[in-house]
Amino acid sequence: MKELTLELALKMLEAAERWAGDIAGFPCSIAVVDKSGTVTAVHRMDGAGMATTDIAIKKAWTVVAFKMPTLMGSRWIDPRSMGKRIGDHAMGIIGMAKGKICFIPGGIPITNDENEVIGGIGCSGVPSGVGDISDTSVSQAGIIALYE
Amino acid sequence: MIGVEWSLLKKDVNMGMNLEMAKKILQSAVVAAKGMGKIVSIAVVDENGWLVALHRMDGAAIPTAEIARDKGWTAAVFRLPSSEVYQFGDPRTPGYGFNVQNWNERLTPIAGGMPIWNEGCLIGAIGICSENPKEDVIICQKVLEASSLWL
Repeated sequence: MKELTLELALKMLEAAERWAGDIAGFPCSIAVVDKSGTVTAVHRMDGAGMATTDIAIKKAWTVVAFKMPTLMGSRWIDPRSMGKRIGDHAMGIIGMAKGKICFIPGGIPITNDENEVIGGIGCSGVPSGVGDISDTSVSQAGIIALYE
Repeated sequence: MIGVEWSLLKKDVNMGMNLEMAKKILQSAVVAAKGMGKIVSIAVVDENGWLVALHRMDGAAIPTAEIARDKGWTAAVFRLPSSEVYQFGDPRTPGYGFNVQNWNERLTPIAGGMPIWNEGCLIGAIGICSENPKEDVIICQKVLEASSLWL
Protein backbone atom coordinates (compact mmCIF):
# COMPACT_ATOMS: atom_id res chain seq x y z
CA MET A 1 0.00 0.00 0.00
CA LYS A 2 1.09 3.56 -0.72
CA GLU A 3 -1.36 5.64 1.29
CA LEU A 4 -3.38 4.90 4.37
CA THR A 5 -7.05 5.12 3.43
CA LEU A 6 -10.17 4.96 5.57
CA GLU A 7 -10.91 1.56 4.08
CA LEU A 8 -7.55 0.16 5.23
CA ALA A 9 -7.95 1.79 8.63
CA LEU A 10 -11.34 0.17 9.12
CA LYS A 11 -9.92 -3.20 8.10
CA MET A 12 -7.25 -2.83 10.77
CA LEU A 13 -9.73 -1.69 13.40
CA GLU A 14 -12.03 -4.61 12.69
CA ALA A 15 -9.26 -7.16 13.13
CA ALA A 16 -7.91 -5.47 16.25
CA GLU A 17 -11.40 -5.28 17.77
CA ARG A 18 -11.98 -8.95 17.10
CA TRP A 19 -8.65 -9.79 18.72
CA ALA A 20 -9.32 -7.57 21.73
CA GLY A 21 -12.81 -8.91 22.26
CA ASP A 22 -12.38 -12.61 21.56
CA ILE A 23 -8.81 -13.38 22.55
CA ALA A 24 -7.58 -10.70 24.92
CA GLY A 25 -11.04 -10.34 26.43
CA PHE A 26 -10.71 -6.66 27.30
CA PRO A 27 -12.78 -3.92 25.66
CA CYS A 28 -10.46 -1.20 24.46
CA SER A 29 -10.14 1.81 22.19
CA ILE A 30 -8.19 1.61 18.95
CA ALA A 31 -7.08 4.59 16.86
CA VAL A 32 -5.49 4.77 13.40
CA VAL A 33 -3.77 7.98 12.29
CA ASP A 34 -2.29 8.84 8.90
CA LYS A 35 1.19 10.22 8.23
CA SER A 36 0.19 13.71 9.32
CA GLY A 37 -0.68 12.34 12.76
CA THR A 38 -4.37 13.13 12.25
CA VAL A 39 -7.00 10.63 13.20
CA THR A 40 -8.36 8.56 10.31
CA ALA A 41 -10.58 6.32 12.40
CA VAL A 42 -11.17 5.66 16.10
CA HIS A 43 -13.42 3.07 17.69
CA ARG A 44 -14.21 2.65 21.38
CA MET A 45 -15.56 -0.79 22.14
CA ASP A 46 -18.54 -1.20 24.46
CA GLY A 47 -17.34 -1.19 28.03
CA ALA A 48 -14.02 0.52 27.43
CA GLY A 49 -13.23 3.48 29.66
CA MET A 50 -14.06 6.92 28.33
CA ALA A 51 -10.49 8.21 28.61
CA THR A 52 -9.08 5.38 26.51
CA THR A 53 -9.95 7.03 23.18
CA ASP A 54 -7.74 10.02 23.96
CA ILE A 55 -4.87 7.81 25.07
CA ALA A 56 -5.15 5.62 21.97
CA ILE A 57 -5.13 8.71 19.71
CA LYS A 58 -2.10 10.12 21.55
CA LYS A 59 -0.23 6.84 21.28
CA ALA A 60 -0.87 6.73 17.55
CA TRP A 61 0.21 10.38 17.21
CA THR A 62 3.43 9.67 19.10
CA VAL A 63 4.17 6.72 16.82
CA VAL A 64 3.99 8.93 13.72
CA ALA A 65 5.82 11.83 15.35
CA PHE A 66 8.80 9.69 16.39
CA LYS A 67 8.50 7.03 13.66
CA MET A 68 8.89 4.22 16.15
CA PRO A 69 6.74 2.11 18.45
CA THR A 70 5.85 3.81 21.74
CA LEU A 71 7.46 0.84 23.50
CA MET A 72 10.87 2.08 22.28
CA GLY A 73 10.36 5.50 23.81
CA SER A 74 8.98 4.23 27.09
CA ARG A 75 12.52 3.48 28.28
CA TRP A 76 13.31 7.20 28.01
CA ILE A 77 10.79 8.01 30.72
CA ASP A 78 11.50 4.93 32.83
CA PRO A 79 12.65 6.18 36.26
CA ARG A 80 14.86 3.12 36.62
CA SER A 81 17.21 4.43 33.95
CA MET A 82 17.74 7.73 35.80
CA GLY A 83 21.35 8.40 36.63
CA LYS A 84 22.79 5.23 35.19
CA ARG A 85 24.18 6.76 32.02
CA ILE A 86 23.99 10.32 30.73
CA GLY A 87 21.56 10.49 27.85
CA ASP A 88 19.83 7.28 28.77
CA HIS A 89 16.66 9.00 29.81
CA ALA A 90 14.57 11.90 28.58
CA MET A 91 12.28 12.81 31.44
CA GLY A 92 11.94 16.30 30.02
CA ILE A 93 9.85 14.92 27.19
CA ILE A 94 6.90 14.47 29.54
CA GLY A 95 4.34 17.13 28.71
CA MET A 96 6.05 18.31 25.53
CA ALA A 97 4.09 18.97 22.31
CA LYS A 98 1.08 20.31 24.26
CA GLY A 99 0.78 17.04 26.15
CA LYS A 100 0.30 15.00 23.00
CA ILE A 101 3.32 12.79 23.59
CA CYS A 102 2.38 9.47 25.17
CA PHE A 103 5.08 6.86 25.61
CA ILE A 104 2.89 4.12 27.02
CA PRO A 105 3.49 0.87 25.08
CA GLY A 106 0.69 0.09 22.64
CA GLY A 107 1.38 2.14 19.51
CA ILE A 108 2.95 0.65 16.36
CA PRO A 109 3.86 2.37 13.07
CA ILE A 110 2.26 1.37 9.77
CA THR A 111 4.88 1.18 7.01
CA ASN A 112 4.71 0.92 3.25
CA ASP A 113 6.82 -1.30 1.00
CA GLU A 114 9.77 1.14 1.24
CA ASN A 115 9.66 0.99 5.05
CA GLU A 116 8.45 4.57 5.29
CA VAL A 117 6.00 5.35 8.07
CA ILE A 118 2.60 6.09 6.50
CA GLY A 119 0.61 6.01 9.72
CA GLY A 120 0.26 4.63 13.18
CA ILE A 121 -2.10 2.48 15.20
CA GLY A 122 -2.60 2.89 18.92
CA CYS A 123 -4.59 0.90 21.42
CA SER A 124 -5.59 1.56 25.01
CA GLY A 125 -7.74 -0.33 27.46
CA VAL A 126 -5.93 -3.60 28.07
CA PRO A 127 -4.41 -3.43 31.57
CA SER A 128 -0.95 -4.34 30.32
CA GLY A 129 1.39 -2.64 27.89
CA VAL A 130 3.73 -5.46 26.96
CA GLY A 131 3.13 -9.19 26.76
CA ASP A 132 0.92 -11.78 25.15
CA ILE A 133 -2.28 -9.98 26.12
CA SER A 134 -1.49 -6.30 25.93
CA ASP A 135 -2.17 -3.05 24.13
CA THR A 136 0.77 -3.84 21.86
CA SER A 137 -0.61 -7.21 20.81
CA VAL A 138 -3.99 -5.68 19.96
CA SER A 139 -2.22 -3.13 17.75
CA GLN A 140 -0.19 -5.93 16.21
CA ALA A 141 -3.41 -7.74 15.29
CA GLY A 142 -4.39 -4.62 13.39
CA ILE A 143 -1.07 -4.46 11.55
CA ILE A 144 -1.30 -8.16 10.61
CA ALA A 145 -4.70 -7.51 8.99
CA LEU A 146 -2.94 -5.30 6.42
CA TYR A 147 -0.98 -8.25 5.08
CA GLU A 148 -3.81 -10.75 4.86
CA MET B 1 -41.14 -8.38 40.37
CA ILE B 2 -44.88 -8.82 40.10
CA GLY B 3 -47.07 -6.04 38.85
CA VAL B 4 -44.30 -4.11 37.14
CA GLU B 5 -45.19 -2.81 33.73
CA TRP B 6 -41.96 -3.60 31.92
CA SER B 7 -42.88 -1.69 28.82
CA LEU B 8 -43.21 1.47 30.92
CA LEU B 9 -39.94 0.83 32.72
CA LYS B 10 -38.06 0.31 29.52
CA LYS B 11 -38.74 3.86 28.38
CA ASP B 12 -36.92 5.25 31.39
CA VAL B 13 -33.85 3.16 30.77
CA ASN B 14 -31.36 5.05 28.70
CA MET B 15 -29.87 2.54 26.31
CA GLY B 16 -26.95 4.80 25.49
CA MET B 17 -24.61 4.54 22.55
CA ASN B 18 -22.74 1.41 21.61
CA LEU B 19 -20.15 0.74 18.95
CA GLU B 20 -22.51 -1.20 16.71
CA MET B 21 -24.95 1.71 16.54
CA ALA B 22 -22.10 4.16 16.07
CA LYS B 23 -20.81 2.16 13.11
CA LYS B 24 -24.27 2.15 11.52
CA ILE B 25 -24.58 5.91 11.98
CA LEU B 26 -21.11 6.50 10.52
CA GLN B 27 -21.90 4.31 7.55
CA SER B 28 -25.09 6.20 6.74
CA ALA B 29 -23.24 9.50 7.14
CA VAL B 30 -20.51 8.39 4.73
CA VAL B 31 -23.16 7.30 2.22
CA ALA B 32 -24.99 10.64 2.57
CA ALA B 33 -21.75 12.61 2.19
CA LYS B 34 -20.69 10.64 -0.89
CA GLY B 35 -24.15 11.21 -2.37
CA MET B 36 -23.61 14.95 -2.04
CA GLY B 37 -20.03 14.72 -3.28
CA LYS B 38 -18.60 15.95 0.03
CA ILE B 39 -15.56 14.79 1.95
CA VAL B 40 -16.28 14.97 5.66
CA SER B 41 -15.18 13.87 9.09
CA ILE B 42 -17.84 12.26 11.25
CA ALA B 43 -17.74 11.80 15.01
CA VAL B 44 -20.23 9.84 17.10
CA VAL B 45 -20.22 10.51 20.84
CA ASP B 46 -22.16 8.87 23.63
CA GLU B 47 -24.76 10.53 25.86
CA ASN B 48 -22.04 12.08 28.04
CA GLY B 49 -20.12 13.56 25.14
CA TRP B 50 -17.29 11.03 25.08
CA LEU B 51 -16.07 9.87 21.70
CA VAL B 52 -17.23 6.42 20.59
CA ALA B 53 -16.16 6.39 16.95
CA LEU B 54 -14.68 8.84 14.49
CA HIS B 55 -14.07 8.45 10.77
CA ARG B 56 -12.21 10.91 8.59
CA MET B 57 -12.85 10.27 4.90
CA ASP B 58 -9.87 10.18 2.54
CA GLY B 59 -8.83 13.70 1.66
CA ALA B 60 -10.72 15.48 4.43
CA ALA B 61 -8.82 18.45 5.87
CA ILE B 62 -6.78 17.84 9.00
CA PRO B 63 -8.72 20.02 11.49
CA THR B 64 -12.07 18.53 10.50
CA ALA B 65 -11.49 15.47 12.68
CA GLU B 66 -11.13 17.51 15.85
CA ILE B 67 -13.90 19.98 14.95
CA ALA B 68 -16.30 17.10 14.25
CA ARG B 69 -15.57 15.76 17.73
CA ASP B 70 -16.11 19.21 19.25
CA LYS B 71 -19.46 19.54 17.50
CA GLY B 72 -20.54 16.14 18.75
CA TRP B 73 -19.50 16.99 22.31
CA THR B 74 -21.36 20.29 22.24
CA ALA B 75 -24.54 18.69 20.87
CA ALA B 76 -24.46 15.88 23.44
CA VAL B 77 -23.82 17.87 26.61
CA PHE B 78 -26.15 20.79 25.81
CA ARG B 79 -28.71 18.44 24.24
CA LEU B 80 -29.14 21.00 21.49
CA PRO B 81 -27.98 21.27 17.91
CA SER B 82 -24.54 22.89 18.18
CA SER B 83 -25.72 25.87 16.12
CA GLU B 84 -28.13 26.85 18.92
CA VAL B 85 -25.55 26.93 21.68
CA TYR B 86 -24.66 30.53 20.81
CA GLN B 87 -27.78 31.63 22.72
CA PHE B 88 -26.01 30.97 26.02
CA GLY B 89 -23.47 33.64 25.14
CA ASP B 90 -26.01 36.15 23.88
CA PRO B 91 -25.82 39.34 26.01
CA ARG B 92 -29.58 39.89 25.55
CA THR B 93 -30.30 36.64 27.39
CA PRO B 94 -31.40 37.09 31.02
CA GLY B 95 -28.73 35.73 33.29
CA TYR B 96 -26.02 36.35 30.77
CA GLY B 97 -22.63 35.42 32.08
CA PHE B 98 -21.84 32.14 30.47
CA ASN B 99 -18.11 32.22 30.05
CA VAL B 100 -17.51 31.34 26.44
CA GLN B 101 -13.77 31.87 26.53
CA ASN B 102 -11.45 29.25 28.02
CA TRP B 103 -14.37 27.59 29.68
CA ASN B 104 -14.01 24.37 27.75
CA GLU B 105 -11.79 23.71 24.80
CA ARG B 106 -14.48 21.60 23.11
CA LEU B 107 -17.34 24.11 23.15
CA THR B 108 -18.17 25.21 19.62
CA PRO B 109 -21.17 27.10 18.24
CA ILE B 110 -20.48 25.97 14.66
CA ALA B 111 -23.44 24.24 13.01
CA GLY B 112 -23.08 20.54 12.25
CA GLY B 113 -23.61 18.76 15.57
CA MET B 114 -26.96 17.14 16.38
CA PRO B 115 -28.17 15.16 19.39
CA ILE B 116 -29.73 11.75 18.70
CA TRP B 117 -32.96 11.12 20.59
CA ASN B 118 -34.85 7.89 21.01
CA GLU B 119 -38.27 8.01 22.70
CA GLY B 120 -37.33 11.01 24.76
CA CYS B 121 -33.95 9.63 25.78
CA LEU B 122 -30.69 11.10 24.60
CA ILE B 123 -28.56 8.26 23.30
CA GLY B 124 -25.69 10.27 21.86
CA ALA B 125 -24.79 12.88 19.30
CA ILE B 126 -23.25 13.17 15.88
CA GLY B 127 -20.80 15.79 14.68
CA ILE B 128 -20.00 16.32 11.02
CA CYS B 129 -17.38 18.69 9.65
CA SER B 130 -16.50 19.67 6.09
CA GLU B 131 -15.84 23.04 4.45
CA ASN B 132 -19.44 24.24 4.68
CA PRO B 133 -21.47 24.02 7.93
CA LYS B 134 -24.74 24.36 5.99
CA GLU B 135 -24.05 21.13 4.14
CA ASP B 136 -22.95 19.48 7.39
CA VAL B 137 -26.40 20.19 8.80
CA ILE B 138 -28.06 18.66 5.74
CA ILE B 139 -25.95 15.50 6.12
CA CYS B 140 -26.77 15.41 9.86
CA GLN B 141 -30.49 15.59 9.13
CA LYS B 142 -30.22 12.79 6.57
CA VAL B 143 -28.40 10.63 9.12
CA LEU B 144 -30.98 11.31 11.82
CA GLU B 145 -33.77 10.42 9.40
CA ALA B 146 -32.03 7.18 8.50
CA SER B 147 -31.30 6.31 12.14
CA SER B 148 -34.91 6.92 13.21
CA LEU B 149 -35.86 3.88 11.10
CA TRP B 150 -33.89 1.38 13.17
CA LEU B 151 -33.67 3.08 16.54
